[in-house]
Amino acid sequence: MQKTESPEESRRKLDKIVSDLTRSILLKDELTRFWFFILIMFAGVGLWGWILQIKNGLGVTGMGDYISWGLYIANFVFFVAISLVGLLISSVLQLLKISWAKPVSRAAEQIAIAAVALAGIIIVMDMGRPDRLLNIFLHGRYASPIVWDLTVVSTYLAISLLLFYIPLIPDLALLHERMGPELPTWKRKLYKVLALGWKGNDLQFKTVYHALRVLMILIIPVGLSIHTVTSWLFAATLRPGWDSTIFGPYFVVGAFVAGTGALIILMYVYRLRYGLKEYYTDMHFDRMGKLLVLVCLVYLYFNINEFFVPVYKMKLAEGVHLKTLFSGGYAFMFWFAQIVGLVLPILLIQLKFFRRPLPLSLISVVILLSAWFKRYLIVIPTMEHPFLPVQNVPESFHHYKPTSTEMLIMLFSFFAALLIISILAKLFPVITIWEVAEEQGIDKEYLTEKSNTQ
Amino acid sequence: MEKKTRRNFMKTLGASVGAAGVLSSGSLLSACNRVEEVSGDKITLLTSSGELVVVDRSQLKPAELPSLTENQLRGRKGLPGRSWVMVIDLSKCRNARECMKACQSHHQLRPEQHHINVLQMQDSEDTAPYFMPKPCLHCDNPPCTKVCPVNATFKREDGIVLIDNERCIGCRFCIAACPYSARVFNWKEPRDAEKYEGVTYNIEANVPQKKGTISKCLFSADCLRDGKLPSCVSACPNGVYWFGDKNEDAVTNGTTKETVSFTQLVKEGAAYTLMKELGTRPRVYYLPPKGQEASPIEGDHI
Amino acid sequence: MNRLKNIIGTAVLMMLALPVLGQDWIVPDEQAALANPSEYTLDNVKLGKAIYTKNCKSCHGDPGKNNPLALVPVPVDMASEKMQTNSEGSLFYKITNGKGVMPPFESSISENDRWLLVSFIQNYSPGREQVLLDLPPIKAKLLASVNEAQGLVDIMAEYEDANEVYVPLLNAPVIISSKKAFGNLKIGETVTNDQGRAIYTIPENTMGDEHGYLSVVVSLSEEYEAAEVILDKALVGTAKEVPELIRKGVLWSTNNNVSLWVLISYILSTGGAWMVIIYVIVQIVKIKKYSRSS
Repeated sequence: MQKTESPEESRRKLDKIVSDLTRSILLKDELTRFWFFILIMFAGVGLWGWILQIKNGLGVTGMGDYISWGLYIANFVFFVAISLVGLLISSVLQLLKISWAKPVSRAAEQIAIAAVALAGIIIVMDMGRPDRLLNIFLHGRYASPIVWDLTVVSTYLAISLLLFYIPLIPDLALLHERMGPELPTWKRKLYKVLALGWKGNDLQFKTVYHALRVLMILIIPVGLSIHTVTSWLFAATLRPGWDSTIFGPYFVVGAFVAGTGALIILMYVYRLRYGLKEYYTDMHFDRMGKLLVLVCLVYLYFNINEFFVPVYKMKLAEGVHLKTLFSGGYAFMFWFAQIVGLVLPILLIQLKFFRRPLPLSLISVVILLSAWFKRYLIVIPTMEHPFLPVQNVPESFHHYKPTSTEMLIMLFSFFAALLIISILAKLFPVITIWEVAEEQGIDKEYLTEKSNTQ
Repeated sequence: MEKKTRRNFMKTLGASVGAAGVLSSGSLLSACNRVEEVSGDKITLLTSSGELVVVDRSQLKPAELPSLTENQLRGRKGLPGRSWVMVIDLSKCRNARECMKACQSHHQLRPEQHHINVLQMQDSEDTAPYFMPKPCLHCDNPPCTKVCPVNATFKREDGIVLIDNERCIGCRFCIAACPYSARVFNWKEPRDAEKYEGVTYNIEANVPQKKGTISKCLFSADCLRDGKLPSCVSACPNGVYWFGDKNEDAVTNGTTKETVSFTQLVKEGAAYTLMKELGTRPRVYYLPPKGQEASPIEGDHI
Repeated sequence: MNRLKNIIGTAVLMMLALPVLGQDWIVPDEQAALANPSEYTLDNVKLGKAIYTKNCKSCHGDPGKNNPLALVPVPVDMASEKMQTNSEGSLFYKITNGKGVMPPFESSISENDRWLLVSFIQNYSPGREQVLLDLPPIKAKLLASVNEAQGLVDIMAEYEDANEVYVPLLNAPVIISSKKAFGNLKIGETVTNDQGRAIYTIPENTMGDEHGYLSVVVSLSEEYEAAEVILDKALVGTAKEVPELIRKGVLWSTNNNVSLWVLISYILSTGGAWMVIIYVIVQIVKIKKYSRSS
């Protein structure tokens, strides 16, 4: 943190920061419109798939009495995994006082909010009777992992929203004061309401710091629970491949890998699209790359544990399951996820070149893809091999193949998640302005001062 | 007793006999008789003794049905003092599949849905293959009811694991939890949905089946309430099934109607339970398939 | 084209299958020529009947009554011409090997017993004298009472003689059983004395319900047509503890029986998290308040 310069210098600097960081809000070009059009259209088309499914029943999916969980649950686990990046970046790294993580944390929260919201929606989409959703509140059983999961998903969503909102308050006041007619009135009004009459006095800042600190501590147990409980949906059963004691931490670490990958991609897109080179610097990507290697290594360790132990014992049902993964129909997905999606990135990111923004983002795309493969592999192969033979049912019950309706609904979930992120980016700055200003040594008084001078 | 039987019939069919004397025999009016065919004004009933009886539809009028809630409450309690058990004598099974047919008919299941499924098993390369009817095992430590988020599947005091299709949200967690693949789901509109439209739901038979919810073997709880054996048990031509109350230590063979001591039967027959190592404590016991001569089934298994 | 092929194929298959489906059941000549080694006597026929009742009756029904189970093909009645055209050896061969729905009994019924079954079937042969007559059951009456203190059942039996007068039934077997959910479980048997009376002592270890109550059923053998006497709720059995299945604290039960540790962990963790969230929201309200204070 540099020492404060003259007031003029500070104001000039602040002006630049504000103009850079409000670009995402002000950008009104063709591409933005096109992007939103695409998102809304595809999300809409996907939603139509759900309407079809509600009308005709879950029979429109490729699921059957044996493979009774499919793409939806795989996507659910994927989104829960991605959402965990909020915990890692905006809590753990902040509590460890790792200052480079500050500008990244809002993007991480965007991902967390979008992913966890979609996770909640997908669960409803997977239900045979979504019209009976209220039964969970009317007749909820305390002993059911699904009830725990819904509880913890909603709690995590609430905390993520607060973690997104509280650091935003000073920014909102600043934006409301500084932005003129270039913003539509409804937006300015929204800022005004949400800014809660922020004056930027010490008492207010103290309260913001305090509230954030409380949330950062709270999100750790809740964030760990959300993925641990999700893993219990599987680990609480007796099936081979799921009946594992390390599923909780295994899922959590896997989530860190997927979430970090997603965040790197989002950072790269923001950097490129909104010209944020000075805020998401090469250093940030370098650090994110190192973080990615760290979580990948831990994940690799868990993978070895998860597969080596049953391979060594080769229990009957477990053996059948492992064979389909190693050399059966899922071998390509499995080895892609393990080698291309895990081992290779660990090796490549060791080199400085691959920690540069573009290569790292490309690697992250592969990591994200294989993270999705991994979720698919967790859900489906296990269900294909129950303890007792599958007999006297149609051929389609033996294997799982997602149908077009499932693809549509999957399309919806991905585009809806992107839509939420895009809307958040369009409404609010993607990097916390006042934190950047603070980092650059600009005194807090200038943040609100502008309103008086203008 | 007689009165009770009549009431049950009304619940199942949603209709009662209006004019006296058309169906003089009270035994016809039981829940275990099933509607075989509805054509025009005639309804064909299959009685539990295997007779087909044609009844004029005009003689059936909507009954004063006890409310759904009452049915659900009664179904949740179970039959007091009972503890139902089943013993399946594998040495007797000849894969006649009468149990599967009777079951699908009773519970209005589609052809691919099985509350009871006769599986062809072979424990190792060197051992002989054998047929194994597999209903729901009604475990005493049921993994399925453990995970249900809304208590739609539950265990009753008499040991039966039942499903309330009016509450089930269709999350299918219980299918994932069941190690015996005993549960089926109504992925599509249930069989003959339009025929049974408006018929009051009977929690003890899971009929009419409800789209988007789970279904499974329930030991024909409606028959048990009438003092009758489950559909599969009485349909078997080979004497495979023994069914009874563990509390009174007696099981009755569905084919020969012979009644023997339960403990004696399972002790002397060297009975076992399926995958006991999972700790589910099933209520269905198997007698070993000694002397069963299962030849591999060829072609389609359906 | 394909469909036509299918139809032709099916027709051919059916023609091939029809003879197999019960029309002709070919027995090797040397097998058909075997003679029944067991003697055709009343005793042997009676033994055969017992085996028949246990193993065959459920499908084939009662001889001469044409009440088989509705299977395809329909099980043949023992007294029918079709059955009786079989030679002794053929009957034995068919029982032994089975075909289609008819199971093979080679392993489940001993060779001797299978021959006894053949003897029983021969009882209905037109060429032989029927040694075991299916007489109409004799009308009879049963009276019974229970002495709870001593665990005794006192029985009196009468039957209708030729003059349609009820006289004591002497030396007749009486079956004592206990009523269960779907049938009667035999406890024991006794025989009436020369006054048509019998006293049966219920064995000490006979199981009753949780209080020791037992519904004792007294009945005569099949030859007599008598309403069985049900001595409802007699306190003659040993009490059996009826274990309670659904207890507090089992994970698989309803919320009413929820394990305390589950409930406490759930409420504490969820409640705790939301308390903190509410606390943070209070802080947000405070932020708004502080904007006025300066």
